[in-house]
Amino acid sequence: MTGFARYFVRRLALMVFVVWAILTIIFVLFQLLPGDPTAIFIDANFSVEMIERQRELWGLNDPIGVQYLRYLKNMALFDFGDSFFQNEPVAAILFERTINTALMVVPALIISVVLGTIIGAVAGWRRGSRFEKVTVTTALLLHSAPSFFVGIIALMVFSYELGWLPAGGMVSLGGPEGFWETISSADYWQHLLLPCLVLVSREITGPILLLRGSMLDVKGSDFIDILRAKGLPERSIVAHAARNALLPLVTYIAVMTGLLFQGQVLLEIIFAWPGLGREMVTALGDLDYPVAQAALYLMALVILAMNFIADLTYGVIDPRVTYD
Amino acid sequence: MIERSGLATILDHPSGAAGLAVVLLFIAIAIFAPFIAPYGPFEVVYNADQSVVRLAPPDGRTWFGTTNQGMDVFSQMVWGARVALLVGLLSAIGSVVLGTIIGLVSGYFGGWIDEILMRATDIAFGIPFLPFAMVVIAIARPSLVLVILLVVFFLWRTTARVVRAQVLSLKARPFVWAARAAGAGPARIIVHQILPNVLPLAFLYMAIGVQTGVMLEAALSFLGFGDPNVQSWGIMLNAAFRAGAMRSAWWWVLPPGLALSFFVIAVFMITRAYEERLNPQLRMI
Repeated sequence: MTGFARYFVRRLALMVFVVWAILTIIFVLFQLLPGDPTAIFIDANFSVEMIERQRELWGLNDPIGVQYLRYLKNMALFDFGDSFFQNEPVAAILFERTINTALMVVPALIISVVLGTIIGAVAGWRRGSRFEKVTVTTALLLHSAPSFFVGIIALMVFSYELGWLPAGGMVSLGGPEGFWETISSADYWQHLLLPCLVLVSREITGPILLLRGSMLDVKGSDFIDILRAKGLPERSIVAHAARNALLPLVTYIAVMTGLLFQGQVLLEIIFAWPGLGREMVTALGDLDYPVAQAALYLMALVILAMNFIADLTYGVIDPRVTYD
Repeated sequence: MIERSGLATILDHPSGAAGLAVVLLFIAIAIFAPFIAPYGPFEVVYNADQSVVRLAPPDGRTWFGTTNQGMDVFSQMVWGARVALLVGLLSAIGSVVLGTIIGLVSGYFGGWIDEILMRATDIAFGIPFLPFAMVVIAIARPSLVLVILLVVFFLWRTTARVVRAQVLSLKARPFVWAARAAGAGPARIIVHQILPNVLPLAFLYMAIGVQTGVMLEAALSFLGFGDPNVQSWGIMLNAAFRAGAMRSAWWWVLPPGLALSFFVIAVFMITRAYEERLNPQLRMI
């Protein structure tokens, strides 16, 4: 086996181990929940026999070891059972919510990376300029400010005070349905604008600071002097430098994607965006445990998968990394 | 020695000094809260005719107005500084102490101890904080202690990894061999040779921990998972949000949000000034 193949296998084994450990933690947590899931039927018109039948159906009478193994199998197969409250399989609900979260996160991610890369590269190239100082200061401020408060302010100003934009939700009531209809409607883009910009205001700071830093590194390296000695125009030298400065960004994007999917609980609540994070808050309030459990698992899985990809791309895009 | 030179760099740095001034102001507010706040954190303000002063805009009596339950927003914001500092300090100290110990032990001893501790760190890195904390709080019952413990649980992992990397590099340096050759045991080497060289990093992560801890408490409280028995900025924002104050009562939303922002940004500026000393590459000019 080559060094990379060995590394791949080891890294994959590590991910499987961590997924198993986190699944076990989630299992233990939900075992500790007050009462068992049938407790929610107590105030309804359920008889003792019906509750018993429900327990049997959910396998709550089996020994704990059997329950644990069945749980691991179901999670591995993405078979999350049915929601207690919405008469639907959990997997179907969460699939829809994940798409909704993506409908907010992906546009923000694209804007942040493209715009942040350009701004950061220019700032790094013009070290010591006024542009660099203003950019870095602004980026540091936006990076450290609590983005959910930025979201609240944006909503207060642009939706309530000025009335320019809708005050939350992904589409208007009775608006477009289905994926293609949604993303091709002006209604969705109007609803998207505010949460997306708030998200960009925070996420763009990463690429800006990263690109500025790596641009500074590249600028000081020998090949730039050679290009300059060859008499290439400044514009072309910047392009050469930027391509090399982009390396760390690829890894960063993977990690950022993982974090974005779990970190949007706050913005989804503020903007009433029907995504994965908001679903999780609702499910916990409703004691809808199958939904909460599966949502937590999915969020962890996205983080782990993205970290895995980040670690692998690191070696693929930078030939200087070796695995021996 | 480390603290003194660290403090000097922060003061040399204009934004670091400004950040320090803002944080000192918040510390003063927190300490003297009983003298500054005209009302208690849950005290209701009444009119002369015994009716409750609900959603009053700012005026001479209630500087920042009142909430829908007739509580004084200014007083709540002042009391909130106490909670912020308490959560920030305790979660920062807890996570850095835990992370540093794990990093030291893992890095120094290596082998299977390192393997176990680093796999535990990998697991901690895979856990999404807010969703995980929400589940734990839903199970246990919201309390400030639990929030602090959760933040510690979330923050130790970064310190542990960074300290371990530092220890691995320190371990190979001649002064550690010399100590070992002189007959020093592992405990003595860790405490006397390695720990002093890890402390600047630990201080940096403590400052970062204060900032993250305050932010996470505010986020959890805003989502409705905070301790209902204390008045924190996040809890205020949650109450204001649920009451629809964003539409009608800006004076209830801005004070807790701005206090949170100022505090967090101020701590960040201190951190940054200190970090630039540890890592001169970050410097702007």
